[in-house]
Amino acid sequence: MNNILENNMNKSDIFSTIVEHTREVVFELEDHEFKQDDSLKALGANSIDRSEILMMTLESLDIKMPLLALAKAVNIDEIAGILHARL
Amino acid sequence: MPDSETSETSDMVVTGLGVTSSIGQGKTAFITALLAGEHKFDVMKRPGRQSPDGTTAFFGAEIGDLTLPDTAPRNELRTASLSAKVALATLDEAWNEAHLSDVDPKRIGLVVGGSNFQQRELLLTQQKYHNKLDYLRPTYAMSFMDSDLCGLCTQTYGIRGLAYTMGGASASGQACIIQAIEAVRSGQVDVCIALGALMDLSYWECQGFRSLGAMGSDNFAEDPGLACRPFDRDRNGFIYGENCGALVIERSKTATRTGVKPYARLAGWAMEMDGNRNPNPSFEGEVSVIKQALKQAQLSPGQIDYINPHGTGSTIGDETELSAIAHCGLRHARINATKSVIGHGLSAAGAIEMVATLLQMRTGQLHPSRNLDNPMAADYDWVRRAAVEHNIENALKMSMGFGGINTAICLQKY
Repeated sequence: MNNILENNMNKSDIFSTIVEHTREVVFELEDHEFKQDDSLKALGANSIDRSEILMMTLESLDIKMPLLALAKAVNIDEIAGILHARL
Repeated sequence: MPDSETSETSDMVVTGLGVTSSIGQGKTAFITALLAGEHKFDVMKRPGRQSPDGTTAFFGAEIGDLTLPDTAPRNELRTASLSAKVALATLDEAWNEAHLSDVDPKRIGLVVGGSNFQQRELLLTQQKYHNKLDYLRPTYAMSFMDSDLCGLCTQTYGIRGLAYTMGGASASGQACIIQAIEAVRSGQVDVCIALGALMDLSYWECQGFRSLGAMGSDNFAEDPGLACRPFDRDRNGFIYGENCGALVIERSKTATRTGVKPYARLAGWAMEMDGNRNPNPSFEGEVSVIKQALKQAQLSPGQIDYINPHGTGSTIGDETELSAIAHCGLRHARINATKSVIGHGLSAAGAIEMVATLLQMRTGQLHPSRNLDNPMAADYDWVRRAAVEHNIENALKMSMGFGGINTAICLQKY
């Protein structure tokens, strides 16, 4: 998924983008059924994995922001919310 | 380094080998193709090997499909360089042959030969992100360092002793073997793996080598298979080859694990600098390391029955090496040029050529030297057009590098 620039993108689309990149980085989650309240950390993604997933997501959404701004999000839904606000 | 402790050094052996090259992955495929003189020299096709403007057509021998071991961590491979993946595959073969799973992980070390060997990967990253730096992958901060190979390999195999990379230009492969020997000899570890890393050149390094006159020219543009010709009168520089070699080194007294059969004894070794930053070779330096290695091995020149030379195809380098061999009274020994078949692996060269030497020792055959149509000197015992039967008792392997680096190692049948 590259450079999704549609301003009408909703949180669900962003959630799907995060999930796609999570599966790309953490192969063990290929068949996992992701839920809104899933935590990347709890799913087994280490800090390096998480930074990769988030950077790939930022690129796909064409958002420029420091990764630090996403540090307090405790689950995927919260990450999607922060990103949605930046679109 | 050689000293008077010859009795202490005499029990160092090689118990495992791994190899990945353009002509085959794994010992069986490699030695079979080597003895047959097969080659893969062509205009290189891997991304980043030719200038984007289409003005270059650098030759080389590239690895085909790479089979990675089941132990390779999938999540880590996504961000691993070609050099790192090839290192894992090569180390895996040596690890299994030496049954290192039966050794205390804290007593196993790894010395990776080479520096700045991921150049093509760095170029591709820079090309991909030059207009979008904000999205540079965080893992670039890990993977751009050569020592990423140490992290990846030690994580995969649970190695807990020492691990580091060391650079010695084109002598890196042999220099890392010497460092591994010293790590065992000093007692830092009981077993040490020496791995000559795949030097992943981009077109920038190829252009640099070409401009310097070190890399072969386009004289054989019509047939790249003819370009790599060490010790031939028509040689005009080295031709690059992707390869990687790994050796497991330990004392004979620890090589008693079930299924372990040492290949040979590492009888003598030497490394000496010329005190010269430049690429030019030194007759005196090469003679000195040969003599030191022979002395430590307690061998006379007449006892050496096979030489695996550095033999790059360089105009001056090949001449100097043959002069050093003659001066040391080694003209009688059988000699071939491994680079003529697999190309110059630069950081990997000394290690994979040591693997070639040990496999020839075990099979009792010497591989041909490709393109040695008109040897620059006839009075050496060349192996030319076809493999020959030959029982190696004592071998000499030489490797030299830019910056005045000379190394030599003597091997003795075990």
